Amino acid sequence: MSSDGQVIENSPRASKREELLDWLGLFARLALGGVVFVAGAIKIPTPYKAAAAMRAYELLPNSLASFFGYILPWFEVGLGALLILGVFTRLSGLVGALLMVLFIGAIASAWARGLSIDCGCFGGGGEIDPSQTKYLQEIIRDIGLAICGFYLYYRPSSRFALDNRGK
Amino acid sequence: MASKNRGPQRGGRNNQPDPITRWIVIGMVLLVVVIGAVFTVVSNKSASNVALPPGASAADGYGIVFNADKSPTINIWEDFQCPSCKRFEDTNGAKIAEVINQGKAKVVFNTLSFLGPESVVAGMGAGCAADQGKFLEYKKFLYDNQQQEGSGTWDKPYIISMATAMGLDETKFSACLNTDKYRKWLTNVSAAGGEANINGTPTVVIDGNIIESDQQGINYYTPEGFNAQLVKYGIN
Repeated sequence: MSSDGQVIENSPRASKREELLDWLGLFARLALGGVVFVAGAIKIPTPYKAAAAMRAYELLPNSLASFFGYILPWFEVGLGALLILGVFTRLSGLVGALLMVLFIGAIASAWARGLSIDCGCFGGGGEIDPSQTKYLQEIIRDIGLAICGFYLYYRPSSRFALDNRGK
Repeated sequence: MASKNRGPQRGGRNNQPDPITRWIVIGMVLLVVVIGAVFTVVSNKSASNVALPPGASAADGYGIVFNADKSPTINIWEDFQCPSCKRFEDTNGAKIAEVINQGKAKVVFNTLSFLGPESVVAGMGAGCAADQGKFLEYKKFLYDNQQQEGSGTWDKPYIISMATAMGLDETKFSACLNTDKYRKWLTNVSAAGGEANINGTPTVVIDGNIIESDQQGINYYTPEGFNAQLVKYGIN
């Protein structure tokens, strides 16, 4: 890495490009981290709702679904905080991306099985009227966020990250 | 300054990363996440040795039971703050009272409290009203005067004034509500709701079958729609 760095350092054009990509990294961190943090924070005050939203997917045994429903909001807040602050960006980005892939799979499976539920992503959740399902929008949003996460995995360097301290 | 502080490939003044700050941050984040998650799981667990209001039965999801010896069994899972529950009560409250009074079924009211702190206060109040034998009257009074969900109106003084207005003994009621006598009971009801896969309110369960409105052509927000479900189980 550091020998590559020297090469890049010598080329002003490449350096300009690097700087732009660093800003892109900041955008990816704040987009994924911000959404995940807010999604978690909204759900923390109403754990029953979060657990119910998880159960409504009918993917896990009841008690396990409730358990994950209780802990997921806290996990999201933690992950979101790490991404926003830019700590362990590469790992946080990967975990965030994998979480999104998991969400996409769960939503797609609910859709395919003909359930009519709200994703419960930002609170809410549970069964809703079939006309109110928004599976496609939810999946597109999560794909966008997954791309942010994978980008950070491949290129974790970004502006205003705690990871940059002391380097 | 910022330009000197970027990623390793930029070659800043000092190529030795200083991980201490990062470890402190990740340590704090992990601490908050673990404590929060453990607290949430533990505080939503059902507990034994919990004070139950008169009529409440552990075997019936800690709901308040009317006509314990009758069948079929109707469970009504509700949250006093939920607007659909008010619709359900406005539509079918009288019918359910009739079913109870004429002994046509065992009816269990499971008070959930998942829509925020107002639901918890209102739910604890239901237990306190049951202490005075006025659970159904309290429930109806709350729905008749339901506030906007999450508006914060239903705090303890407000619920006490409502209970007083509907004729409950103020001293007894406020002593009960102010000491959170039935908070753990509500937690047990909620845990039972999780086990019973109750994911929204109101949810009507007859003899263990979850009957969902707006699914498979069922609509229990009209008297005819609800009665049609009752008839299926022999309640006329």
